[in-house]
Amino acid sequence: MTDLNQLLQEFSDVAANPRIVLERYIAQGKKVVGCFPIYTPEELVHAGGMIPMGLWGGQIAPTVAGKYNPIFTCSIMRSCLEYGMTGKYKGLSCAMMPMLCDTFRGMSGGWRAGVKDVPLVAFIHPQNRTDSGALEFLTEEYKAVRALLEKYTNCTITDAALEKSIEIYNEHAAVMCEFVDVANDHLDVITPVVRHSVMKSAVFLEKSEHTEKVRSLMAELNKLPIHEWKGKKVILTGITAEPDEFLEIFAENRIAVVGDDLAQESRQYRTPIPDGPSPLERLAAQWFNRFCCSTVHENESNRGELLVEMAEKQGAQGIAVCLMRFCDVEEYDYPIISKATEKAGLHSLCLEIDQNTQNNEQSRTKIQSFAEMD
Amino acid sequence: MAENNVPAPKREIPKSRVMVNQQTAQIYANAWAAKEKGEPVGWSTAIFPQEIAETFGLPVLYPENNAAAISAKHLGDPFIQHAEGEMRYPINICSYARMNIGMADKMSGEKYERVEPAMPVPDFLLLANNSCTQLMKWYENLSRNLGIPIFFVDCLFNYYEEPPAPHKIKYVRSQIENCIKDMETFFGKKFDWDRFLEIQQRSQINRKLFNEIVKLNSRTPAPMNGFDLFNYMSPLVLCRGQESTTAIFEQLKLEVLELIATNTSTFTAKEQHRVHWEGIACWPNLGYNLKMLKSYGVNAVMNGYVTAWDVAYEPGDLDGMAKAYQMSSTNSFSTPSIMAKRAKSIKDYSCDGMLCHVNRSCKMMTFHIFVGHEIIEEQTGVPCANFDGDQSDTRVFSEAQFETRLQALVEIMQHNKEAQND
Repeated sequence: MTDLNQLLQEFSDVAANPRIVLERYIAQGKKVVGCFPIYTPEELVHAGGMIPMGLWGGQIAPTVAGKYNPIFTCSIMRSCLEYGMTGKYKGLSCAMMPMLCDTFRGMSGGWRAGVKDVPLVAFIHPQNRTDSGALEFLTEEYKAVRALLEKYTNCTITDAALEKSIEIYNEHAAVMCEFVDVANDHLDVITPVVRHSVMKSAVFLEKSEHTEKVRSLMAELNKLPIHEWKGKKVILTGITAEPDEFLEIFAENRIAVVGDDLAQESRQYRTPIPDGPSPLERLAAQWFNRFCCSTVHENESNRGELLVEMAEKQGAQGIAVCLMRFCDVEEYDYPIISKATEKAGLHSLCLEIDQNTQNNEQSRTKIQSFAEMD
Repeated sequence: MAENNVPAPKREIPKSRVMVNQQTAQIYANAWAAKEKGEPVGWSTAIFPQEIAETFGLPVLYPENNAAAISAKHLGDPFIQHAEGEMRYPINICSYARMNIGMADKMSGEKYERVEPAMPVPDFLLLANNSCTQLMKWYENLSRNLGIPIFFVDCLFNYYEEPPAPHKIKYVRSQIENCIKDMETFFGKKFDWDRFLEIQQRSQINRKLFNEIVKLNSRTPAPMNGFDLFNYMSPLVLCRGQESTTAIFEQLKLEVLELIATNTSTFTAKEQHRVHWEGIACWPNLGYNLKMLKSYGVNAVMNGYVTAWDVAYEPGDLDGMAKAYQMSSTNSFSTPSIMAKRAKSIKDYSCDGMLCHVNRSCKMMTFHIFVGHEIIEEQTGVPCANFDGDQSDTRVFSEAQFETRLQALVEIMQHNKEAQND
């Protein structure tokens, strides 16, 4: 258990203290590039011998970010801007930002006005994915991203290095999917908070390093007998399910998280980077295989059905929509998710997520009610 | 409240406005007639390449325009409530979307009571996301709820200040071409490229005419109450490629020139201050806003919103058209780009300040405002003031706050004028 506990502590430390991780990499002489969520081509940074580090904000009450963004901005972006404006992201060579929603589009201006020491590498995904010109467009867009990364970091990103990085990322994604299954055999150890720290630490660590850690964790878990979970089970969907205090409410009510469709967690791992004629085109082609995500245009969405299928496979009684406050793309998907959930005879919970609010009492009441339902 | 010394004279509705009303009524009537004949009727986002639908001769209505009209008549709340209640859409999404999605759902119900201007249930959707990304989510939901197809032109976003790179123009052009092919298949009609060229030419005539009219308001004092411009958005949205719009704008131009010749104005108070209005109108509160502006002698002589349909390109140049639709709306530009345009406009129209609508429904425009204050103040030296509101949701706007913010702006503008005169 010592090795297991030690590993769990390491995941927890990384997830809770990304600034320390950033400083460690910088002290090692590495360059670090901030990566705004989601579907940012981190592989390009990795191929340049640098560390791509996720920028996911934090649980804070912003005091200066309001200068450049309205109060109805999603709290991840508000926290990120606050960190940027107050020097918490100092040391990043630059930051990549996808223009996936209106908040990102607005934030691109806010960031450039408020965070002068971290240059912005903006880019946009094509949303009309069935158009014959879309793949070529994204490949060209990634070429422009690569050129800007090289400019801001003085690194070189070769095709050969990119091919290697793609393999590392595909391997990591596969390991994360495996972890989700292994975790469900040990729900006594992999509590919702522990599960989250394993998932979240991935956005801050170099991917091969994280892959090795998760493999070690799975090896330790596989030494333990399979645990038969007697409590309720739930699937989480949304952008993030944070903070730990929020997730602890599930544990307090003997509810296990047995699967997720969170943008910060499993959603990014279910689509491998496909084979293709060039590494840039491979990277671009991944976007065209993404599915059931609020940030990706689809004429027909089976997100509700996907969640129901996940719940049925894992024996979950409910689906918790962790609705990021002011995230309009997720908000537009909420009706289809909740209706599909109820149609399947499952419980649907709508829990508000806000990094700038410390009060989880509304969620507590809803989760308690779910726990008490037959 | 400031005293309004100028009694509002009863003015006849100008001929150009009568023509707008007739044109709008005709467009709605055409859509209903087509529906009754079993022909497909479309709903379109406001800055979709209308030249395509116009060439096909398709009856198309515009939910954003419709939502604005219904909001101005204070008739939108039941639809918004339906979307938030029974349909479960969260309160934070765009109020145009909530209203329209709620309305589309109610239309298929037995107890639906038509609210004018009423649109028929659509059979297809035309989507361009150059105004915002929420449009895409809104139309996805309409498409799924109604089971109808979307013809989509993804217009990207200019996150830097440079004009669109060649690969961006190529992608948008590809979509326009593919859209035409897909529509040919769906409607079983051959696309007439000669007609397309004519529509492009007509669209350019109309946009240029409107620009000329707007520019006339740079005169001091302005011939028009700036809010009048909101009344002429409907031809730009609904009929940008039609000759009836040319006739309306030619008439409007004559009327404005007449106002200039007689040194009169449709702004019936004394024009003491000129401001640039930033953002969409608060449609449910338009009357109050205007009353308050007049009472302080403030004419919002110019606003950026009405220039959103200034889609400029050379007829026949498809690359140019693709580029123009990527650069058509306030929200398709980076903040430094759009604020540089606003700064120029503030100077050209001799504005003393900028009054900004922090529109709860429009994140992009609000971001522009928050980030843009510094740029405007640095490039023009004029003060900016914000007020909270919404384009349709009546729960956001506060009359008292609007007056207080306006009052503060007027005080600064007054102070600046006195300082200049010292």
